[in-house]
Amino acid sequence: MDSWIEGPGRAFKRPLPGSTNYLSAYDRFGRLIRLPDGKPKNKNSSQSGDVDQVKARQSEGGNPALVPDGLDQAAQENDRQDTTKKDSNALPPESLDDLRPFPLNNSFRSQPVLSEELREVIYDQVVNRDRSVREVSVEYNVSMERVGAVVRLKTIEKDWIEKGKPLAKPYARAILKMVPTTPYLGSRTTHESINDLPVHSATRQQIFYPTSESRAFTRVDAAHVFRSGLLPADKRIPHPQLVEREKLEIAQVPKSEVDEIMNEWVAAEAARKQAIEEREKAEEKRLVKTVRAPRWDFKFRDINVDESGKDGRGQKGVGWRYGFPHQDRKRGQVRIPTSVE
Amino acid sequence: MVVKIRLARFGKKHAPFYNIVVAHARTARNSKPLEVLGTYDPIPKSPPPNDPHARPWKDIKLDRSRAKYWLGVGAQPSDPAWRLLSMIGLLEPKYRPSMVGGKVEKRSLIYGT
Repeated sequence: MDSWIEGPGRAFKRPLPGSTNYLSAYDRFGRLIRLPDGKPKNKNSSQSGDVDQVKARQSEGGNPALVPDGLDQAAQENDRQDTTKKDSNALPPESLDDLRPFPLNNSFRSQPVLSEELREVIYDQVVNRDRSVREVSVEYNVSMERVGAVVRLKTIEKDWIEKGKPLAKPYARAILKMVPTTPYLGSRTTHESINDLPVHSATRQQIFYPTSESRAFTRVDAAHVFRSGLLPADKRIPHPQLVEREKLEIAQVPKSEVDEIMNEWVAAEAARKQAIEEREKAEEKRLVKTVRAPRWDFKFRDINVDESGKDGRGQKGVGWRYGFPHQDRKRGQVRIPTSVE
Repeated sequence: MVVKIRLARFGKKHAPFYNIVVAHARTARNSKPLEVLGTYDPIPKSPPPNDPHARPWKDIKLDRSRAKYWLGVGAQPSDPAWRLLSMIGLLEPKYRPSMVGGKVEKRSLIYGT
C-alpha cells in the first residue's frame, strides 16, 4: 500500500488540474500516458482515429465572456491558436483511455458536460435573441431537454446573482476542471446525438405480425401494430425536419431551396402549435370565470357532475370521493415529484 | 327535510379541501350527499415567480347549471356556499362590506365598545 502511494499512486495525491485523473490515464509506473514524453504510446496511437471524436477539453484560460455571433470566427481562430501555442507546455487532449473511470470496464466512458461558456450562449440565444429551443438544439447539437434545463437553471442563477445570494462558484470550477466538457465552437459545437428515437413503452414488446408479402409494410403500419394511434418512428424523433432536409440534400436540391423549404416547415409547425395553444386558451376562457377579490382571485371552473358516472366513482369526476380509503400513507407511494414537466 | 347546499370538509390537517355538496340538512357533514356540485380549495395558489402581474388564486370547481337547478327547487345554501354562489351571480350577495360595517357599528353602539 505504502509503496503504491509512494510510487505509481503519487500522481493521485494532488489531482492534476485540467484532467480527469482516472486510474486508466496512468501507466503502472504512475506516468500520464498521453503526455508527449510518456513512453508507452502504442495503445493510444492505434486509437488515434477515435481521439478526434473525443471532445477537446475547454482550455482553462478560455474566454469566459459570452461570444456573440459576429465574433464566432475570430473565437474559433483564437481557440486553435491557443491550443497550438500551448501544446508545448499544456496537456494534450484526452484520449478515450483517459475517459475510462473504471479500468476493468472498457465500455464505460465519461460523457462530457456543457462548458460554462456554451451554457451562457444557449441561454442568450433562447432568452435574449428569442430563438426557439428547437433551433438552438439543432445549431449546437444539444438535446432539447438539455437546452430547456440550461435555460431554467441559468434563469435561477441570474436571479440569485441579482438577489445577491452566494453561489458555489469554486465548487463548480473544481468539478468542471475534473470532467470532460464540450467547448463552445460556434456552429461547429457538437455535444451529443440529438435525433435519437425515444423508446416508447408500446414498442418494447416483441410482436410476430403476419402480413402478406405483396403488402408494403411501412413504419406507419408497424406503429399501428404496436398500438393504434402511435406515431411512426419518423415522426416520434425529436427533429423530423432534419430527416426531410437530408432527403432533399440527397435529391440534390439546391441549398437555397432546401433552406426555404425548411423555413416553411418550421413556420408551419410553429403555426400549428400556436393554433393549438390559442384553442386551449379560448376553451380555458370559456370554462373559467375569474372573480377578483382584494387579496386573491377566485377561479370558478365549470364542470359537469355527470362525469363522475352513475356510481359517483368515475375517473373524471370532481371532488373528494366517498367510500375510498386514502392511499397516501400506503407503502411504496411516491410523494415527491419524479419528473419536471 | 330541508335540502341544503353546503361545504363538506375533506383534506388533511392544515390542508382543508371542501366538496360543495347538496345534502339533506340533518345528515352528517361528510356523509354521502345527494350530489357533489363541485369543490372549493381554500388554500391560495401562488402565482408563477416570473410574472410580476400575476395574482394568487383559489380554485373552485362548480357545475353551474346543476347549482342553478338545486337553487330553483328550493335548496338552501349555507353562508359559505352562499358567498361562493353569489360570486358568479347565482344569488344576491348576502353580506356586503357596507352591511357588515353597519352591523359592527350598531353593535358597538349597543354594547358601548
